[in-house]
Amino acid sequence: MMTLAQFLSETALHTWIVGQAWLWPVLEITHFIGLTLLIGGLLVVDLRVLGVSASTPLLATYRLLPLVLLGFGLNLISGVFFSVGDPFRYAANIGFQAKMVFVLLAGANAVYHHISITPLLIGLEEGARTPAVAKISAAVSLLAWSTVLLLGRLIPYLGTG
Amino acid sequence: MFFWLESTPLALWVSLSFWAYPVLLSVHIVGLSIVAGIYAMRDLRCLGVVSEPPLSLFVRLHRLALAGLALNVVSGFLLFSSQATVLIESVPFLIKMVCVGLASAIALIIHARFSAAIVGQAYVGESDVLLESPAIQRLSVLSLALWLSAIVAGRLIAYIF
Repeated sequence: MMTLAQFLSETALHTWIVGQAWLWPVLEITHFIGLTLLIGGLLVVDLRVLGVSASTPLLATYRLLPLVLLGFGLNLISGVFFSVGDPFRYAANIGFQAKMVFVLLAGANAVYHHISITPLLIGLEEGARTPAVAKISAAVSLLAWSTVLLLGRLIPYLGTG
Repeated sequence: MFFWLESTPLALWVSLSFWAYPVLLSVHIVGLSIVAGIYAMRDLRCLGVVSEPPLSLFVRLHRLALAGLALNVVSGFLLFSSQATVLIESVPFLIKMVCVGLASAIALIIHARFSAAIVGQAYVGESDVLLESPAIQRLSVLSLALWLSAIVAGRLIAYIF
């Protein structure tokens, strides 16, 4: 981890990020906008899968997924900039490490949802019960992303682990 | 008055407790993602950025968005109380308060219009003709701009004094 941090700290991108005083707040704002799109969209999709607003066609909520991906993309890019801009801080931070574990968990769950759950839901007849596995995946999604949010906000307050 | 607020036992607990401030910040970001997230999805839907889901879904999610708002009014007030004398003179903070206030008022207006449109309709999807209303479009643009400004201003509190 420290070798990677050392490498990142020697890149030209690192030097550039450190040199721009305005960049850090802009990256933070981008990260906040990204999380709003990501969580906002997933709240709608996952809550619908969990049974909220059952009269709404389930797949209609999937139209929000491009916005979710846009939010994730914004946060991936701004997140990489944070990591390259201050590599030693993040590499040693237990909050950051735990956050990444939950991002991976949430990401894996999203891929699983796309590959296994979505075809299941497409094949579902109107008015049929949503399969339990879909609900579990939706609950995992909401819990994992909420944890990502909490851990991310705690990074400045958590020490090295 | 703000000196008094800062010296109340509650405000002192927020500023002196090791965990209170970071935990409140974490709660505040979860609340943000719920309220701004749901309303951003609704606004983008109203503006035709996405063609689904139907507006009736957002009528059902209104309560959850309000719960997110309530969470942030409480966590925000506690955070404010610990630094009241500083924040009350912070321009970004004051801008944020105005934006949140206006955006919340608009959310109530849009919700009232949607609810009125949906009542008495057998097929909830028909309420979507409301989308063509210029008034709703204007309110949606305003709402989106206000939540965005609230996020930007909120983040800048830490940078601009």
